[in-house]
Amino acid sequence: MKTNAATLGLVLAVAFSTSALAQQALRITGSTTINPVVSEAAETLRKENGLAITIDTAGGSTGGVNALGDGRADVGMSSRSLNDSDREKFPGVDFRPVSIGRDAVSMVVHRDVWEGGLRALSAEQIRGIYEGSIKNWKEVGGPDLRIVFFNREPGRGEWEVLTKFLYPGEKTAPRTNHAMVGSNEETRQKTATTRGAITFLSTPWADSKSVFALGIRNDADSVVEATGPNIANGSYPMSRPLFVITNGEPSGAAKVLIDYLLSDAGQALVAKHGYLKLADLE
Amino acid sequence: MTASRRLIRFLLPSIAALCAMFALTAVIFILGVLLVRGLGSIDWAFLTSDTRSAGAEGGILYQILGTLILIATALAVAAPPALAIGLTRVVFLRSRPRAARVVDALLHALNGIPSIVFGILGLLIFLKFFDWGKSWLAGGILLGVMILPTLTVSLVERLAAVPRKYIEAAVGLGLTREQIITAVWLPQSWSGLLTGSLLGLARAAGETAPILFVTAVFSGATLPTGIRDNPVLALPYHVFVLAQDSFNDDARANLWGAALVLVLLVACFNLAALPLRLNLHEESRHV
Amino acid sequence: MAPCAKLYRPQWILWSCAFGVAVTLATLLAALLMLVWQSLPVFAHSGVGLLTGTDWYYPEQIFGALAMIYGTAVVSLVALVLAVPLALGAAVLSAEYLPPGPRLAVKSGIEMLAGVPSVVYGLIGVLFLREWVYKGLEPFDPISGDSLLTAGLLLAVMILPTITTLCDDALRSVPAAQRAAARGLGLTRAEAVLHIALPQAAPGILAAALLGLGRALGETVAVFLVVGRQDGQLPGNPFSLTAWISPGQTLTSKLGGPETHIAFGDPLHWSAMIGLALLLLLFVGVCLAAAWGLERMMRRSTDPVAEATP
Repeated sequence: MKTNAATLGLVLAVAFSTSALAQQALRITGSTTINPVVSEAAETLRKENGLAITIDTAGGSTGGVNALGDGRADVGMSSRSLNDSDREKFPGVDFRPVSIGRDAVSMVVHRDVWEGGLRALSAEQIRGIYEGSIKNWKEVGGPDLRIVFFNREPGRGEWEVLTKFLYPGEKTAPRTNHAMVGSNEETRQKTATTRGAITFLSTPWADSKSVFALGIRNDADSVVEATGPNIANGSYPMSRPLFVITNGEPSGAAKVLIDYLLSDAGQALVAKHGYLKLADLE
Repeated sequence: MTASRRLIRFLLPSIAALCAMFALTAVIFILGVLLVRGLGSIDWAFLTSDTRSAGAEGGILYQILGTLILIATALAVAAPPALAIGLTRVVFLRSRPRAARVVDALLHALNGIPSIVFGILGLLIFLKFFDWGKSWLAGGILLGVMILPTLTVSLVERLAAVPRKYIEAAVGLGLTREQIITAVWLPQSWSGLLTGSLLGLARAAGETAPILFVTAVFSGATLPTGIRDNPVLALPYHVFVLAQDSFNDDARANLWGAALVLVLLVACFNLAALPLRLNLHEESRHV
Repeated sequence: MAPCAKLYRPQWILWSCAFGVAVTLATLLAALLMLVWQSLPVFAHSGVGLLTGTDWYYPEQIFGALAMIYGTAVVSLVALVLAVPLALGAAVLSAEYLPPGPRLAVKSGIEMLAGVPSVVYGLIGVLFLREWVYKGLEPFDPISGDSLLTAGLLLAVMILPTITTLCDDALRSVPAAQRAAARGLGLTRAEAVLHIALPQAAPGILAAALLGLGRALGETVAVFLVVGRQDGQLPGNPFSLTAWISPGQTLTSKLGGPETHIAFGDPLHWSAMIGLALLLLLFVGVCLAAAWGLERMMRRSTDPVAEATP
C-alpha cells in the first residue's frame, strides 16, 4: 500500500507539472457594466477560437483594477478612468486602458417619484440628497415622500463618476451613510421596489418600466437628458468611458479579445447592451 | 385537579405543537417554493450544458462538475486525518480523559469557526502567500479542513457504540493490539466514516463563503488543468451571484433551477447518511 | 499477519493521529496568529478606535467597527429571541410527548431545515422575506425591506434546527426514571416537564442557545443579501422600532462583500478587513467556549466515549 500511494503521488505530480504547459485561461474581472459585453464576446471567442476565458465581477471596477495590479487578473474591466490613487497603489504596473465605448450614469428613481412629476435634478440638489440635507422629495419638486438614497460602494465605476461630478477637484467625496447596493442589477431591483428610492445607475439599465432616469439640470437651468448625442458631445456631464485594461501591451489571448471588442462584431455587442459605440462618439 | 393545573396540562403540549408546526411549515415552504419554481427549469439539457449569456440561457454543467470536484477534494483532505484522530480518540485516549478532552475541544473549536473566516484565511494563505491565484485546490483544502470535525465526530460516535464485549473477547482470544485494531475497530469504523463523509459532503457542497475568494469565478471555467490559476465554477457561488445580479427574467429561471439542484444534491448526501445514523441509535439502545 | 496489518500498528495510527491533530491545531493557531499579525497595521492606525469608532469610510481611512458590532449583536439577538422559544417548544414536543415514530418524523423534518444551504436561504430572503417585511411593516414606514430585522428573521429559521436538536438531546438526557417518579407522585406530564425535565436540562438548553448564537454570529451569505448593508448605523435610541427596521451592517456582511476584493491592494484597508475577521472570530470563540463549558457541566465531567460503551 505504501508503494501504491507513492506511485499515485508521483503520477499526480507529473500530471500537474506537465499541465503547467497547458493553456492558462485568460482571467478577466471588473465592472458589472462592461460584463455583459465582455461575457458575450468571451462566449464567441471560446466557441470560435477555442480560447479559455474566465470572468468574474467581484469588487466592480475598482476590484478589476486591483486584481490587474496585483497580477490576479490579465484584463481588468473598468467603467471609470484610472486615477492617481490607482497608479499610486500599483507603481510597477503599466496600465494600458483601451476604450471600447462610452456610457452615461443617470440618477434613477422609483415609479412613485417619477409619477409625482419629478423629471430632473441639479448638481446642487443631488449633492443635498447625497449628503442627507434634503430628506423629502417635495423639497426638490417631487411628491411628498421620504427620499431613500441607495449608494454604491466606493470604487464602483458609477460611484466614481457621480462623485467626480458632484465634487470636482476634491480627492474623495464626503463620508455619508446610506444603504449600499452592489451590481447594476441589484441596484435596479432594489430601487424598483422601495418607495421614494433614488440611486445612480448606468443609463441603459433604466428601463423606464421599473425605474426611471432623470435628466440633469445644468447651470443654464435647462434639462440635459442622457441621450446618445448629449453624451457624445459632452453636454451630459456624467458620462464615462468603458475600458478594458491590460498590464503592458496586450498580447496573446488578451489581444485577441481586445481586437474583437474593437471590431464591428464587438462594437455591435456594445450597442446591443445600450452603450455608445466608439463610432457614435465622433 | 385545579383549573390552573388543567390549563397547563393543555397549554404546554399545544404551544409545543404550534412551535413544531411553525418549524415544519418553514421546511415545507422552502422546499415547496424551490420545487415549484425550480423544477420547470431542470431537464437533461439544463444539467449537461454550459451557461450562456451570464446565466440567462443554458445550463449548469460546469457548476455541478465544479462542486463535485471541490467536495471530492474536501473528502480526500479530511478523511485520513479524521480516521486517525477518531481511532486514536476511541482506542487510545479512552483511558486518558484529559487528552481526550483536549482533542474534543479542538474539534469543537474547529467546527465553530465561521465559514467567512475560512474564506479570509484562504485569501491570506493561498492568494497572498502562496500566490496561487484562484485555485480549485485551495477551495478543496479549505472545505476539507471545515468538514474534518464532522467526519471525526461521526466516526467517534460509531466507534464509541462498539460493545465492549467485542474487545474483551478479542483480548481473551489473545489478539495483539494491532490485530484488535484490524479485526475489530477498523471494520466498525467504515460505517461511521461513511456517515460522516456523507454529512461532510453535504455541508461542503452548500458552502459559499470559503470558496468566495479563492476558488470560484462566475463564468468561463471548465475543468481545471493544474493548480495555480485554475478556478472552477460552483453551484453555491452561481446562486449567490445570480441572486444579486440576475440580468433578466430568464436568468431567474436558471437561478431557481440551480438552487433546486444544489438543495437536491445536499439532500441526497444527507438522506444517504440517514439509514446509517438510525442504525447507530438502534445498536446503542440494545447494548 | 497480513502485510496491511503493519499499517495499523499503534505507532502508525498514533503518528497519523498526531498529524491529524497537528493539522487541526495548526489551522486554529494559524487562524488566530495570522489574523492578529495581518491586522496589526489597522490597530496601529486606529488603536481601540477600530472597536469603538462608529464610522467606516475607507477612502478617508476611517475604520470604526462599532456599528457593525452593533449590527451583528442586533441580528443575532433577534434570531435568538425568535429561535430559542420555538426550538424549545418543538423539542419539548418531540422529546416529551411524541412516541418514537412521530418523534423521528418531526425531528427529521426540522433537521431538513439544516440541510438547506445558506445561499438558498439568502435567495428566499431576497425574493420573499424582503417583500413580506416591507409590506408587513408598512404602518411603521420602513426605509426598505432589507433591514437588521429581516436578517434576524432569516437567521432565526436557519439556527432553529440546531437549537431544536440540541434541546431535544438535553431533554432526553434527563433520566426517564425521574419522570416516572414524578408521575407516580401525581404530577401531570406537563408538570413533570416543567418542574423536573426542563430545570435539569437547562444547562444543555443554554448550551444549545449559545451554539445557535455562534452559528448566527458567523453566518455570512444570507445576512449579506438582506441586511441592507448600510454603514454607520448606530441608532440614537436602540429601543425604538426604527432602529430595528433600518438597514444595517454586520461584521460578516462587510467581510463577505466587495470591500474585501477592493481592499486587496491597500495595506491599511486590508488590515482593517482582517481586523474585522479577528473580531468576529473572538466573538464566536467566546460563545463556543461558554457553550463548551456548559455542555461539560451537563455531562458532569464524564468522558462521553467511556460512558457510551458499557
